[in-house]
Amino acid sequence: MDTLVRIEDVSKIYPRVHRSRERLQAFIALLFGHEPAHGTKVLRNINLDVVRGQSLGIIGENGAGKSTLLKVLTGVIQPTTGRVMVHGKVAAMLELGAGFQPDFSGMDNVRMKASLMGLSNQELDERLDDILKFADIGEYIHEPVKHYSSGMVVRLGFAVITACRPDLLITDEVLAVGDESFQKKCIRWIQQFLDQGGTLLLVSHSMYVVQKLCQKALWVHAGGIEQYGDVFPVTQAYLAWHEKRNAKDKEMQLKATGDGAYYRIEEFTLLGINGDETPAFAMGEDLDVELKIYSPDDRPPVGVVGVIRADGTPVYGVVSDNENTTPVKLADHYYRFRLRLTNIALLPGSYNMSAHSMDPEGVRVFDNRQMAFTITGDTKEVGYIRLPHEWLD
Amino acid sequence: MTLGKQRKFEWVFFQNLVVRQIRQDYLENLTGFAWLILQPLMLLAVYAFVFSTIFKARIPEAEEIGFVPYLAIAFWPWTAFSEAILRANNSITANGALIGKVAFATEQIPLATVTATFIMHLVGYLAVLIVLQLMGTSIQWFYLLLALPVILLMWVFACAISLFTSAIQVFVRDLAQILPPLMTFWFFTTPILYSSSYLPESIQKLAQWNPMAWFIARLRELLLFGEINFDYRALFIVLFIAIFAWGSLRFFRRFSGHFEDFL
Repeated sequence: MDTLVRIEDVSKIYPRVHRSRERLQAFIALLFGHEPAHGTKVLRNINLDVVRGQSLGIIGENGAGKSTLLKVLTGVIQPTTGRVMVHGKVAAMLELGAGFQPDFSGMDNVRMKASLMGLSNQELDERLDDILKFADIGEYIHEPVKHYSSGMVVRLGFAVITACRPDLLITDEVLAVGDESFQKKCIRWIQQFLDQGGTLLLVSHSMYVVQKLCQKALWVHAGGIEQYGDVFPVTQAYLAWHEKRNAKDKEMQLKATGDGAYYRIEEFTLLGINGDETPAFAMGEDLDVELKIYSPDDRPPVGVVGVIRADGTPVYGVVSDNENTTPVKLADHYYRFRLRLTNIALLPGSYNMSAHSMDPEGVRVFDNRQMAFTITGDTKEVGYIRLPHEWLD
Repeated sequence: MTLGKQRKFEWVFFQNLVVRQIRQDYLENLTGFAWLILQPLMLLAVYAFVFSTIFKARIPEAEEIGFVPYLAIAFWPWTAFSEAILRANNSITANGALIGKVAFATEQIPLATVTATFIMHLVGYLAVLIVLQLMGTSIQWFYLLLALPVILLMWVFACAISLFTSAIQVFVRDLAQILPPLMTFWFFTTPILYSSSYLPESIQKLAQWNPMAWFIARLRELLLFGEINFDYRALFIVLFIAIFAWGSLRFFRRFSGHFEDFL
């Protein structure tokens, strides 16, 4: 395969530059060919290959090192160690308005930017109409850029990029700026670019955009690669990690109860189709929940089972009492519920199964348990559950 | 192939940079580019008044020519040289936003600043020469052809210094404060306001090796006296500037990949 980008063991240390003494030290170090001694390590030992025609989404929390990785890739900064090799014509959109001079007209800035990207005057003249059409800012093109709205700057910046016909397109969260229709236009253009064999590296916090445009995803965490692979598993794992982090507080609250519970949950398991315990289910499979509850007075308790999104959003819940179900008595004081969620219609992602035990009257909750599980599958649907649907003529 | 080496010198971009630099100063003026010519002429009038009327300045070996033409021939090239260096010194830090976002051959920025400044002052220089001619000084127009390589060499010299200083400026911001007095010192130690014969003998020997003094002397000889006086020192100075320019480009490139970390 035709490797377009190769990153070999790249690390980046940003030197400390706040005090003038540190700047001077760094200067002297560089003069003698050393790397600055002190600094913040923002990338550690990254290895990555991107082949021609691939589209890679780079995800990660703020400050994880995504933008630094892109800057190293585009050659704006040099890695402290390791090598970056890029073949082919690169267009980077780290910031679409970069290089625009506010005092000059949009037209002047288009010329400037296009020449910066390596377009000759002749090429620019040929493609100018396309640029203006794509930017679609009308007569404003002759106004100084300082009178532009931020959206117009982005339009113009993106329009110039489209004219450059790069092999590799690198974008850093730039799609988030324009208005809805322009964003769609950009996404359409990128899709077309990909269809024609273009290669894309995209940083985005929108998993929707990443899943829509990318085949592969790279999860960057604390300067290193946390996960790399097909876009769906990686984005799902990333989202689950986020949701878990957000849900930690809630979990702590829940843990406070339980120990001295009267109607105790003894066992809580999730079972797959073949009856084995498992935390992962394919979308559309059957999911069995088994719940054993201890009843101090040997009366049949009430069970509650619910599905909660990992961030705590309730998705669905059912109470045995309301459905006139009684548990099976296993032994004295021990009862068992078994609930089958048939053809589970949850969309791929991370969830928690939540179970509660209540007294036989269904008045008070005595115990609760949560268990994480994931739904796997490839789908571009959004939301939590699949609603039965059909497209009509 | 690493990307750092892939950074190409884009000619079209460089031209655009130069044009932008020139237009920047005149963009919002009513008269636009007219100031390119008007300003030097006004300055010339000021110097004529100050030096001829107030100071009554005289140069013994240029009695016939008069002080003002003698000064003007040297003053504009010097101004181009000095202003180019001072402007280029801050050019990297001023363009930090661009350098942090786009990978390109960064040396284009100081070089474009130097080039733009030279072009602007050369236009003024020509206007001054024409006015001097109209006022009665006989300018040796034919020797302008030989004066141009001298000015070109000054441009290369200014480029070399600017690559050197603008790279250091990124790391040592104090340079912006040190440089103007240094340039002023250089101005007064170069025979621009006076003739080199005013210098004490001991300093005269030393001043021979000041490239700017050499440039100024050649320009005066060529344009005012129509003399050609290129000796072995010409070769030496060309060689020195070539090596210096090569060295400072290498110096600049050693640091340019790290600019982003320090801007």
